Amino acid sequence: MTPAARTYFEDVEVGREQRTPAITLTEMHVTLYRGLTSDGAVDPTMVPELLPVCLSTGLGWRVPRPPLVVLAFMGLDWQILRPLAVGDTIYSRSKTAVKRTLREAGIIVDEHEIVDQRGEVVQRGRFTFLVAKRPA
Amino acid sequence: MSDGRRYFDEIEVGEEYESPGRTVTESDIVLFAGISGDFNVLHTDAEFMKQSVFGERIAHGLLGLAIQAGLFTRATQPWATLALEGLRWKFKAPVKIGDTVRLRARVTAKRESSKPDRGLITVERRLVNQRDEVVQEGETDLVVERRSS
Repeated sequence: MTPAARTYFEDVEVGREQRTPAITLTEMHVTLYRGLTSDGAVDPTMVPELLPVCLSTGLGWRVPRPPLVVLAFMGLDWQILRPLAVGDTIYSRSKTAVKRTLREAGIIVDEHEIVDQRGEVVQRGRFTFLVAKRPA
Repeated sequence: MSDGRRYFDEIEVGEEYESPGRTVTESDIVLFAGISGDFNVLHTDAEFMKQSVFGERIAHGLLGLAIQAGLFTRATQPWATLALEGLRWKFKAPVKIGDTVRLRARVTAKRESSKPDRGLITVERRLVNQRDEVVQEGETDLVVERRSS
């Protein structure tokens, strides 16, 4: 049996870009998200600002690169540039900006953008992850 | 006439709020995995996580962030918020199944906008668990309507 391929800290290349598949934002996404969190505006056709970034983390698993062995999500700096409505379609693209090695793991900072069907960047920022090193 | 919402002009730097508590359940994590598509083993594989430093499944960081956004709306009288414009956020400690979190928030800055009908309010936020440990913290920038004169 071959274990599933994984991307460890050592495998991450600074500057390499990744683009995810796209997803159409539906009223069901908004309804489920609002029911779960009680976050979001009253207008059900508008997408709560934090929902796209949640969806983009799922999209991040649907790229050709084997999944990154994330030990912890450490933080994000995030800007919301434009509102999104139900019916818009988004994808995300990211690029590793910083790699910093620690004794037992490593820190990766990714520049991340969410783009809509018109090609406009609607949200952007930086994610910081603690990532496992390849087992010796 | 008042519509029950608070506008940019009335909200003051230094105001503090505390939300009710909210117990984070297994259902919350399963539902969030389903909505977001993030099925990372950290959140979905109980057996694998027994062997990890956490000892059990943990909530998605972004689930905690989304929950605190909802808790903010329950912590104070509604604001005339137009949008969330940005945030600077740190995930400090895991949220585990059965933990009860609450939000402590404080208004730290107000800034005029180039548009006369709105202003920007910065809110410092700490999400704490039942042991009063800070699990997440950061700042959010909210665009809030001005009362039309």
